[in-house]
Amino acid sequence: MRNDDLALWELSEIADAIAEKRITSVEATEACLARIEIWQPRVNAFLRLFKEKALAQANAMDAELAAGKRRGPLHGVPMAHKDMYYRKGELSTGGSDIRRDWRAPVTATVLEKLDAAGVVELGFLNMAEFAAGPTGHNVHHGHCRNPWDQSRVTGGSSSGSGASVGARMVFGALGSDTGGSIRLPAAACGVVGMKATYGRVSRAGAVARSWSLDHVGPLTRTVRDNARMLAVLAGHDPNDSTTSEKPVPDYEALLDGGVAGMKIGLALPDNGLVPLDAQVGAAVQAAADTLGQLGARISSVTLPDFTALYRSAEVMVKCEAAAMHRPWMEKTPELYAKQVRTRMDAGFFIPATQYIDALRLRAHFVAEFLATAMASVDAVLLPAIPFPIPTIEETDTEEKGGPAVLKMVAGFTGLTRPFNTLGIPALSVPCGFDTNGAPIGLQLVGRPFDEATLYRIGHAYQGATNFHQKVPV
Amino acid sequence: MDERTKTAAGIAAGLQGVKYDDRRLAEIAAEVEVLNDAVRKAAAAHLTFDDDPAAFASIMTKEARS
Repeated sequence: MRNDDLALWELSEIADAIAEKRITSVEATEACLARIEIWQPRVNAFLRLFKEKALAQANAMDAELAAGKRRGPLHGVPMAHKDMYYRKGELSTGGSDIRRDWRAPVTATVLEKLDAAGVVELGFLNMAEFAAGPTGHNVHHGHCRNPWDQSRVTGGSSSGSGASVGARMVFGALGSDTGGSIRLPAAACGVVGMKATYGRVSRAGAVARSWSLDHVGPLTRTVRDNARMLAVLAGHDPNDSTTSEKPVPDYEALLDGGVAGMKIGLALPDNGLVPLDAQVGAAVQAAADTLGQLGARISSVTLPDFTALYRSAEVMVKCEAAAMHRPWMEKTPELYAKQVRTRMDAGFFIPATQYIDALRLRAHFVAEFLATAMASVDAVLLPAIPFPIPTIEETDTEEKGGPAVLKMVAGFTGLTRPFNTLGIPALSVPCGFDTNGAPIGLQLVGRPFDEATLYRIGHAYQGATNFHQKVPV
Repeated sequence: MDERTKTAAGIAAGLQGVKYDDRRLAEIAAEVEVLNDAVRKAAAAHLTFDDDPAAFASIMTKEARS
C-alpha cells in the first residue's frame, strides 16, 4: 500500500524507506502526529503523547543514519505502547486511578529492546484498568473507541493499541494478552495481533495481570510488520525466568514460503459460552476457502471441550490478581472500577489446592490439544471473537450490568482465553467486515514456538485479500 | 444466609481481611463453586500424585516446532 500520507504506509515500508533515506524518521513522526491530532479526539487511544520528545528522538535517529549507523529493522519507526510497560522514572498508570501518578523504578525489557532497535516512542496508550477487561471500557481515563465506528468497543484490554494501529496513528504497538487482550483489539480494530508462545517474549517490567497467563506481543497493520516486530521483541531475558532460551527465528525471512501443501484445521465451534454468529462463521469459512485456493489442505477439526481450560484460566487469573492487588483491595477497594474489582473477588476464596491443580492441569491440556485437534495439521483456524463487535453501551458492565451484558462480555474471550491456558501461539488477522461495518478477525493457532508457520499462513492470506488495507475514515 | 455464603463470610472476615456485603458474598460463593467444581472434575480425570506444575514448561519445550 502506498499513499502520499506517510502515516498510511505499512511499518516495514516506512522502516525500509527510512533506511534507504527516501524519507526521514522526522517526516514519519510528523505524519503520525498529524494523524493523531485528527483521530485522538475521536477514539481516545493515547493517555500520554510525547510530541516534542518524539520529534527529538526522530531527529537523533536521522542523525545516526546520516552517520552510517542503522540500529536495526525498526530504526526511526514511530510507535506507542499500552500504558503498562515501565520506563524508569516515568509515569506508568496501568490504566488505573490507583497508579495515576506512579513512576516506574525500572524499564521494561521490551522497551529496552525497541530502544536498541531505534524505535521512536510517541507515547503511551489507553487500556483496561490493570489489563482487566475484554472490551476497552475505562472509567478512569475515558473509554477507548473503535476507529471503524466510535459507538463500538475496541476490544481489550489493549484497547489503545488496537485503536491507534487501526486508525493509522502509529505503525505498531505493544499489547499484552492474558485472555485475549492482544487478539481481541486486533480483531475488533482490523489489525494483526500476535500472542506468541508463553516464554517467547519477556514480561519483565510489564504490569502483571496473571504471571502464569500473561503474554507480551505486537499489534501491527500487516503480518509482515508483525513478524518484523516480534523478531525484535522475542528471546531469553535473565529478568524473566519463564523466557525460553530457544533461538529466535528470522520470522520475516520465513514469510514467503506460501501455504501449498500445508495442513490447516478449520474449527467453527459453538463453545457453549456464546454461540458462533453466522456472519463471523461465514467470514472465517471464506478465509479457509481462500487458503484452500492457495494450496493449503483444509480439513475440519473438533476442538476439545474448552470448559475446563476456561475455568482453570479463571482460577489462575483470579487467584494471582487477588494476591498482587491485596494491599489495595484491603485498604482502598473503592479506587477500582466495579467490574475490575469484581473480577478479582473470587481469588480470595478459591482454595490453594484448586489453584495448584489448575497449574498442574496445564501440561495435560496441552498434550491433549496437540494430540487431538493438532494431531494432523500445521495450524488451526477459528474465529477470534465469536460475534459482531458490540457497542460501548451494550457492554457497559459498570453502568448497566445484568446477566445479558455479563454474558456478552464473558463471550469475548470464549475462543481466546483457552490458548492462554495452553500457552501456544495464536495470531489474529482481519478477515472481513460485519453488516455494521466493523472488522471481523480470524485466529490461527499453532504448535509451541511455531510462530513462523502462523505468520507464513497469515502472510499468504493477506497476499490474496485486502481487508488489512482498508482504512477507517 | 446459606451454608456456602456463611463459609465465604468466614473466609472474608477471618482469613483474608476483605469486606463484602451479604449479597456480594452470595454471588462470590456461587462463582467459586462453579470454578472449584470445574477444576476438581478435571483434576480427578487427569491428575496423579506425580503431576508437577513445572511439567507445563517442559512439555512446551519438548513439543516445540521452530
